Amino acid sequence: MIKISNLEKIYRTEDVETVALNKVSFDVKEGEFVAIMGPSGCGKSTLLNILGLLDDPDGGSFVFAGQEVAHYNERKRAGLRKQHIGFVFQSFNLIDELTVYENVELPLLYLKVGADERKKRVEEVLEKMQIMHRKNHFPQQLSGGQQQRVAVARAVVNRPRLILADEPTGNLDSINGNEVMQMLTELNDAGTTVIMVTHSEHDARYSHRIVRMLDGQVVLENVMI
Amino acid sequence: MLSNYIKIAWRNLVKNKTFSLINIIGLATGLACFILISLYVVDELSYDRYNVNADRIFRINSDLKFGSIESKYAVTSDPMGATLKKDYPQVEEFVRIYSSGGGKLVKKGNEYLKEERIAHVDSTLFSVFTLPVIEGDPQQALTEPNSVVITASTAIKYFGTTNALGKVIEANKTPFKVTAVIKDIPHNSHFNFDFFFPMQNLDYGFGTFLSHNFHTYVLLKEGTDHKAFEKNFAQVIQKYIFPQAKQIMQINSMDDFYKAGNKIDYSLMPLTDIHLRSDRVAEIAPNSNIQYIYIFSAVALFILLLACINFMNLSTARSSRRAKEVGIRKVLGTERKGLIGQFLTESILTVIISTSIAIVIAWLVLPYFNDVAAKTLSIKDLLNTRILVWLVMLPIIVGVISGSYPAFFLSGFQPVVVLKGKLSGGMKSSSLRSGLVVFQFVTSIVLIIGTIIVYCQLNYIQTKKLGFDKEQVLIVDGAGSLQKNIDVFKNDVSNMPGVVSATVSGFLPVSSSWRNERTISTETVMSVQNSFSTQTWGVEHDYFKTLGIQLKEGRNFSKEFGTDSNAVIINETAAKILGYKNPIGQKIYTLKDLQSGVMISYTIIGVVKNFHYQSLRQNIGPLCLFLAKTDGYAAFKVKTSSVKSLIAQVETKWKALAPGMPFSYRFLDGAFDEMYRSEQHIGKIAIIFALLAIVIACLGLFGLVAYSAEQRTKEIGIRKVLGASAANIIAMLSKDFLKLVLIASLIAFPIAWYAMNKWLQDFVYRIEIGWWVFVLAGLTALVIALVTLSFQSVKAALANPVKSLRTE
Ligand SMILES: Nc1ncnc2c1ncn2[C@@H]1O[C@H](COP(=O)(O)OP(=O)(O)OP(=O)(O)O)[C@@H](O)[C@H]1O
Ligand SMILES: [Mg+2]
Repeated sequence: MIKISNLEKIYRTEDVETVALNKVSFDVKEGEFVAIMGPSGCGKSTLLNILGLLDDPDGGSFVFAGQEVAHYNERKRAGLRKQHIGFVFQSFNLIDELTVYENVELPLLYLKVGADERKKRVEEVLEKMQIMHRKNHFPQQLSGGQQQRVAVARAVVNRPRLILADEPTGNLDSINGNEVMQMLTELNDAGTTVIMVTHSEHDARYSHRIVRMLDGQVVLENVMI
Repeated sequence: MLSNYIKIAWRNLVKNKTFSLINIIGLATGLACFILISLYVVDELSYDRYNVNADRIFRINSDLKFGSIESKYAVTSDPMGATLKKDYPQVEEFVRIYSSGGGKLVKKGNEYLKEERIAHVDSTLFSVFTLPVIEGDPQQALTEPNSVVITASTAIKYFGTTNALGKVIEANKTPFKVTAVIKDIPHNSHFNFDFFFPMQNLDYGFGTFLSHNFHTYVLLKEGTDHKAFEKNFAQVIQKYIFPQAKQIMQINSMDDFYKAGNKIDYSLMPLTDIHLRSDRVAEIAPNSNIQYIYIFSAVALFILLLACINFMNLSTARSSRRAKEVGIRKVLGTERKGLIGQFLTESILTVIISTSIAIVIAWLVLPYFNDVAAKTLSIKDLLNTRILVWLVMLPIIVGVISGSYPAFFLSGFQPVVVLKGKLSGGMKSSSLRSGLVVFQFVTSIVLIIGTIIVYCQLNYIQTKKLGFDKEQVLIVDGAGSLQKNIDVFKNDVSNMPGVVSATVSGFLPVSSSWRNERTISTETVMSVQNSFSTQTWGVEHDYFKTLGIQLKEGRNFSKEFGTDSNAVIINETAAKILGYKNPIGQKIYTLKDLQSGVMISYTIIGVVKNFHYQSLRQNIGPLCLFLAKTDGYAAFKVKTSSVKSLIAQVETKWKALAPGMPFSYRFLDGAFDEMYRSEQHIGKIAIIFALLAIVIACLGLFGLVAYSAEQRTKEIGIRKVLGASAANIIAMLSKDFLKLVLIASLIAFPIAWYAMNKWLQDFVYRIEIGWWVFVLAGLTALVIALVTLSFQSVKAALANPVKSLRTE
């Protein structure tokens, strides 16, 4: 499903040049659950953002679902993104001014899904994430675990083929963290591809395969049994 | 303490450059506007107050209705002043000014200059008005015939010195001895003359109460109530006017006169009201209008208010950013009072900086403003104590007004709430902000609509079919100075190539030419029932052809019908008043003069279609045209592409036939436009204010969107991650503000409609306000707002979401 080869990303500020990704290559197959690990600043988030079509690489190739997307413009990337990809962040990134329901509904609005269908799908996913009773609350009124469940609900409401999670448990205690990992596993079991960045070996154990990075390079891939 | 406030305030200003700039530019623009208008208003209100006795001087106004038409005159009859002084001890003094005789030709070296600013006055002029004398004895100066009083600059113009006592001025070929030189009359005076000649030198049938030609001012004794004094006019009418009226018409009592629907009424107008509240027939010079003072003052305040609103809006919008600072300060023990002091210092500091910039802007703009407003204001007038007080107070008032809301709002934060996280209660303040934005746009849209309508009305006036042809008519002024050569001049010029026809007359269909009102009767004996007053003009055979006036029925004056000296041509209004089914061949009568009571008859030979001989503010009144030589102007219908060389030829001809006499010319359409000078000024001023209001409103909008985009950086990032396109984001950021502009339009429309309808009521002939004006104004505001918004929203929409989400 994803095939990257020799992917490069260089950040240039006034005087320093940071090579965030240095010829990174690997594949992810449809239905896989991959964890990316590595020390802080090694380029995990950068990689994830490129995989999520939020950012473009400076070199190399990125084939997503059979299309070469490395040089897609913003409009085309946005089109693929809203169709196929869901995001979960460490800091939840819910919109404070919108209710739980409205936050989850948002991706469907951008996909121009009809009102009835929208209602059905939002309620279905809220039900599944066990957050339905909080649907009219604002993010500020929820605990961290609840907020992350809303974020996961939002990531999956458009039924993406790929979920990208950047340290989804980073701000949660172990109970809430496990709950979120449980959800990702269930989604993966249902056929969704999951790529997750994490610092926790415990969380990484939920995945099929761990990609280890150092200084912008993939140094090791080990398959979990 | 204060210096600490100022230090922190300054740092905050410098730190938030964009916001500070928007605040300062907006406020400075508003204040500059306010300063300019203050200068204007203070000047307008100062008229005639240089007179020491200003509060005791009154002008006698006359309201007369005879026949169908009521006229309100700024003049009264010549014996009125003296009569009042003789009969009523409350009248300390009176003075008459006669200025409607046209200019005089004054000799300077071998040349003659046409001097227009001349008046014949009573010797009591200096006892009533405060006109300081440089040389000569004011009490004696105008007691003898053939004396003249001139102003300092006139003395310098003719003699090179103000030392002109005893020197001789030759005016209209008569020598006058200079008996006094006075200081130039201040510009803020409702009259402004260079020469004062004695009344004895005026050629006038003195003694009749029935003819109104003199501006008459009375100086009442201290403590006299002028309203109560007006009651005495009934006595004057009974005692003096009735006996004279009885001599020339059949009336048995004044009651007969009133019962027939006529009116004769005198009143006293305070001197200081003349400039702003008098718009009567025969004013010495066109006056201003108090309404415009109200409108300008209101607009100035509104623009200032708009600028203050920006200030409040941006400060409260920024509040959540400063909330943390407030929280920390509070935790550290700062009292609420101290915080309010800090915020007020900030806003007053901003306003003081803005005021300084505003004064510079006002100074730079003043020449243009003077041009537009037809004034000679100077920035030095700012030192006028009244304005100076305002200039010092204004920054404090504006600072407190615009700073107090943010100050109280910000200082009221609960530190625990603020420090814990997001600020709640943002809802309330954002709806207040919305209200203020709506208010700004209401003001802007009303001004846009006003501007469009003023311009439409002006355009309507300029293109309206007037019943005469104002294009390509060359007018040569002062045709009288050609004397016996006048026909030669007329013939020679009409033979020049490019000249179609020519006529000589004092009466032209523009208000700056002669006017003559008389009473016409349908029977040989005049009574209140059978007579009415009308304009009576003397014209030549070729008058109608030259001006393109059309005959409706009957015939033109013609040399084939003998002299036609007892023939009259009337306009449609006069025909309607007369009421004859077929007016041609009917006779009308008029008095030969007021003294003898002899009537002369005229036969109606033609009716011309109505043409606008007065401003479009008035209905077309009755008009009777007689065949007579009135040598005020020579008018030429021209049809040539080289107007310049034609004028040069005409001038050469003039110089040959009227040696030494000043040559001056204009075009009829130019003279026509003169009548609408004040509307043109208003139009220009309205445009400037509308632009300013919009600029300020947009500055505010710009700031608010910048702020809201900044506030929502993270949200925008999230939305983009979720698939929002740039267009989605721009729409999201603009939608709320555009909604406000739409609401503002809906509020502005009825207000503008009402106000502009009122303004249009001044014109008898006026445009209908079309719906498209509102659509246009609404769209203009919308587009301008959209463009303003797009600067910020596009920037925000194109930002890389990854970056937006990193900033935390
Ligand atoms: N916008 C940017 N401008 C400049 N340098 C950047 C930018 N974004 C990332 N970097 C640099 O690129 C490198 C990789 O950053 P990245 O965020 O991908 O690290 P990470 O592996 O996700 O770290 P962490 O585990 O702390 O989240 C770092 O050295 C970072 O400083
Ligand atoms: Mg990271």
